[in-house]
Amino acid sequence: MGRRRALRRRLVVAILLLLSVALLTVYFRESSDGPVHRAQERALRLFAPLQEGSARAIKPFRDAWNWTADLFDARAENRRLEDEVERLRQQSGRELALDEENRELRALLKMERDPLFPRDVRFVPARVIARSPSVWYSTVTINAGSNDGIALYDAVVNGQGLVGRVSAVTSDASQVALITDQESFVDGMVLPGGAQGLLSGSVTGDLALEYVDKSHRVEKGQVVVTSGRQGSIFVRGIPIGTVSDVAQQDVELYQSISVTPYVDFHTLDAVSVVVR
Amino acid sequence: MGPHVALEVVRLVGVLVVAVLLQTTVAPNVRILGAHPDFVLIFVVCVALLRGAEIGALFGFVAGGLVAIVLFEPAGISAFVLVVIGYLAGRYAETADLSPGFAPLVTVLAGSLAGETMYALAQFLLDRQAPVYFLTTRVIVPLVILNALLAAPVYLVVHWWLGGERHVGAPEAR
Repeated sequence: MGRRRALRRRLVVAILLLLSVALLTVYFRESSDGPVHRAQERALRLFAPLQEGSARAIKPFRDAWNWTADLFDARAENRRLEDEVERLRQQSGRELALDEENRELRALLKMERDPLFPRDVRFVPARVIARSPSVWYSTVTINAGSNDGIALYDAVVNGQGLVGRVSAVTSDASQVALITDQESFVDGMVLPGGAQGLLSGSVTGDLALEYVDKSHRVEKGQVVVTSGRQGSIFVRGIPIGTVSDVAQQDVELYQSISVTPYVDFHTLDAVSVVVR
Repeated sequence: MGPHVALEVVRLVGVLVVAVLLQTTVAPNVRILGAHPDFVLIFVVCVALLRGAEIGALFGFVAGGLVAIVLFEPAGISAFVLVVIGYLAGRYAETADLSPGFAPLVTVLAGSLAGETMYALAQFLLDRQAPVYFLTTRVIVPLVILNALLAAPVYLVVHWWLGGERHVGAPEAR
């Protein structure tokens, strides 16, 4: 009897493990319209109101916790900001000169000044109502969806810079893949200089600007923005972050550039979706 | 299906609903020591301690699958990990003496460590990488501590709701 029970127990576990592997295989092999993906979209529609309610209820406690944690960081943050003000003051002088030169060159070429965003876009405001609790997936859920005009792959920004892109949409909620996600790739450009590369995320939350040729001079503190290449989902010039480290190895073809994002993804709350 | 079995199923479904709701609505908004609590894993361990390996594994499969679907994660990874955790926790309950009060705490600690390690291995196989130092110090250790803090109250609630310990198979080493 004991042996039969043990055999049944092992059979049940083996079947469940096989089903798990089968589920994983189906998930990766099916298209975005497949049954598992559709089930996820239905679940998002169902759970989004609950997540929003929970986010509102927990927000006062989270804000209080963040405020307390910030008190301990205040002195170091103050010193860092003072250094940054000094650096920006020096940079603004150089930029004024560059701006003047740019204006003259554009006048020579008779180019129209491109606005940062095309004229036919609008911004849909939204709030973050849930975050992925797993460190492996950098995603958030926002309380705006297709009813608000949002579509798949729309860019998401906030007052600090680029946040990510829409990776799933339902009628009233959307999932946003942050630029810090490992599967996120953004075409970036370093200013000044114009060195272009591909920005990728990581589990640690750091960004890496890859495929930048060694011939380009990149320095710490330079600004990284979206390059807005042909076919890119991001328009040109959206701020992403600053270069925090540059490393070169003789055996490597490209430079190794680390970027600190402007956006504080831990306290992300209000965002805007760029809708064409 | 007899009335006792039906009642048992209803109770387990109730625990499942609460676990999935907590993991998908509360856990994403709670971040302590840099980690989010893993309510589902705690509930799976508690159910396995109270109901044995088979129920623990099945509960882990369903809970893991549901959470992955709601959170838009690849379906199957969480289910696989929680099947293993549920089974091992259940076997521990069936073969060991659980009278010391700290058994749920120790099982949740071990389950969190094992579960997070398995999850990291699965992600590595799916070509998602992370530095070992970062994983150990910023993910696994805080998560294990956080789960350990939640183990006792969750176990007490689940123990009360399910009406005590009752294993499907007779314990083999008592």
